Amino acid sequence: MAKKNKNVPKAQGRHSSNGQGWRDPQLHIPSSSQRTYTIVDHRLEKPSFTIRQIRKGDEIRYEVTGDLNAPVPAIRESKYLDKKQCLEIYRWMLLNRKMETALENLYKQGKVVGGVYFGLGQEACSCTSAYALHKDDWLGPMIRNQGSLLVRGFSARDIMMQYMAKAGSPTKGRDASSHFGDIERRNVVAPISTLGDLIPVLAGVALGARLQGRNIAVMTYIGDGGQSTGVTYEGLNFAAVQDLGLVLFVENNLWGYSTPADMQIRVKDLAERAIAYGIPGVIVDGTDACQIYDAAHEACERARRGEGPTLIEAKMMRMKGHAIHDAAEYVPKPLFEYWRKRDPIARFENYLVSVKKWLTPQENEKLIAGVDRELEADRDFAVASPMPEPESAAGGVYCDSSCHEIKPKYGVPKVRVAKSGIATPRQAAVHLR
Amino acid sequence: MPQLTYLEAIRQGIWEEMERDPAVFCIGEDIGIYGGAFKVTEGFIDHFGPERVIDTPIAESAIVGAAFGASLTGMRPVAEFQFMDFIGCAFNQIVNMVAKAHYRWGAPAPLVIRGPSGGNVHGGPFHSQNPEAWFVHAPGLKVVCPASAYDAKGLIKAAIRDNNPVIFFEHKYLYRRIKEEVPVEDYVVPLGRARVAREGRDVSIITYAAMVHVALEAADMLAKEGTELEVVDLRTLSPLDREAIAQTVRKTNKVILLHEDVRTGGIAGEIAAIINEEAFDDLDGPIVRITAQDSPVPFSPPQEEYFLPKLSDVVREARRLKAY
Repeated sequence: MAKKNKNVPKAQGRHSSNGQGWRDPQLHIPSSSQRTYTIVDHRLEKPSFTIRQIRKGDEIRYEVTGDLNAPVPAIRESKYLDKKQCLEIYRWMLLNRKMETALENLYKQGKVVGGVYFGLGQEACSCTSAYALHKDDWLGPMIRNQGSLLVRGFSARDIMMQYMAKAGSPTKGRDASSHFGDIERRNVVAPISTLGDLIPVLAGVALGARLQGRNIAVMTYIGDGGQSTGVTYEGLNFAAVQDLGLVLFVENNLWGYSTPADMQIRVKDLAERAIAYGIPGVIVDGTDACQIYDAAHEACERARRGEGPTLIEAKMMRMKGHAIHDAAEYVPKPLFEYWRKRDPIARFENYLVSVKKWLTPQENEKLIAGVDRELEADRDFAVASPMPEPESAAGGVYCDSSCHEIKPKYGVPKVRVAKSGIATPRQAAVHLR
Repeated sequence: MPQLTYLEAIRQGIWEEMERDPAVFCIGEDIGIYGGAFKVTEGFIDHFGPERVIDTPIAESAIVGAAFGASLTGMRPVAEFQFMDFIGCAFNQIVNMVAKAHYRWGAPAPLVIRGPSGGNVHGGPFHSQNPEAWFVHAPGLKVVCPASAYDAKGLIKAAIRDNNPVIFFEHKYLYRRIKEEVPVEDYVVPLGRARVAREGRDVSIITYAAMVHVALEAADMLAKEGTELEVVDLRTLSPLDREAIAQTVRKTNKVILLHEDVRTGGIAGEIAAIINEEAFDDLDGPIVRITAQDSPVPFSPPQEEYFLPKLSDVVREARRLKAY
């Protein structure tokens, strides 16, 4: 495979080097210099456990073996984050968690329609990853990445109204939970319930942007459970072969509903899959906000330079069940103990208050109180907002000419100046008569 | 006015739209240097460049997903399926991701999914299907099945300009077998409107795609015995032209529904229900369905002949209905 010649000017902007206003295909040779057979691991500890089904008397149960007594490592210093950014990230994580606690309470008060999905223990991944995105980048959140929606500019009340099926929800009551998006301002693609389907879509967003002369970062997530689907493979392979700026966070939280990762994959680290796609793979501690940010930032920068996708495996654990109805009793208790000590917010709080001393205990209390106040206001607003009128279910199945004006978001694609002509037909090659 | 085949008309339609609108691009398997398995995109990559004529890996879910993603940034992708039989591989993306997008979260999906469908070419079970009914059944999609070269060009242009996802079924039997005068200038045929391919007063046949030509042949035969068939070409299956369906039934009072798709769950059932709703009192006889049998498409030519609706079926049923 040809190696990218770093001396050739990049023609990926609106100004190409050949003066014809379109990109020379010679400059778009996939870069195999990014290919890696080693997976970079940023973690300061490498926990290794096995979860197996064993027979215990009459029952089959899961059992965990491994070193569950290892001490909690320090937060790894970030290469990029400054104090202001760290405090913002901390606040986002607090907002993420407290919003979900509020949702749980609303559920128990009977105000939520359907179930609630939690990202407890995963807030660092959701919030910090999205924090690395720029305005023109895109996000495709999954069900447990509600924190990323907050970072991207949605509010807690938006998410609460989704769960309560209110008329003022981002989908006007038509869909639940995190199934909403925004193509105009916040650049968020709404997920669907089936897993992996966001991956080719986000790749396509990057493709569309590139056709308009921009390399952007597009970020989405997939779990240890979801990554088994065929569409995950198809989407990631497509992004890899087209060098699209897909930053894929593989959130290995050890459980796909009730099935442990050990029963879903044979590899030790999901980041190893990057080798199969020909893209860089990175492992981070999913409970360490600094590691997540650094990996996300570097991957997004690669993406914006047109260097293609990155697979980032964030290791953590899902600290509640699959959804609110699931008590997760199948999870061996020692695992909960192990990961509780690694709570991402507690770790980061300790880092900010005790290690970096960027926050005094009083400032911390004030910050937390501020988050509580914001949430209370959002909660009250959401609870008081009306349910939709029944008739509002009608309409909107099609986009008619008056509801949307569709035009390229990043600018009109530069195309070769057309000379009008009709292609002359040549000999057909298909042998169906 | 030049004579173009059905395939050439489609090619010209896509070409013109790509020249007219820089947001339009093609994506699919082997559409670039090879020009597509059926050569629909022959010459495109040389003229428009590889950025706008993208060859993909064999990954239909990724093709549809990526086309949808690109459409979210304001592009208008034309995604080719090498054979529409393979649309099953992208079914989830089409019906769950794309079809529901505008209703659920207000995101229009201005993409076209196009490719060859239909049988009578000895293609066997996986190269001869008529999958249109599956997609008529998904709210949010539009489904188009042209029967003439003129309509093929006008409809592909309309489909590309439509803000909604359009599944465009090109009948492969017609690709090179029909040739007619097609205007060189820009014109569109609106989606959602049927056309009367032949006027008549005795019995109506409502049909689409390759079967339109079978119906016209039957009409010629029956005209000799004094039976005038009215042939209505639906052109768009979703949304259906309810008014055109009702109008022809009001005119002749007798109707045959003809399609190459299999019987059960085929769109004839839907049209029969529409006739019941719109023009029950105008019926002077039962609604007759002529369809393929309920089986996969067999491969061996004598078996495929048995499987497909035949000219003799149409003639027989038209005579029977006329006399009812």
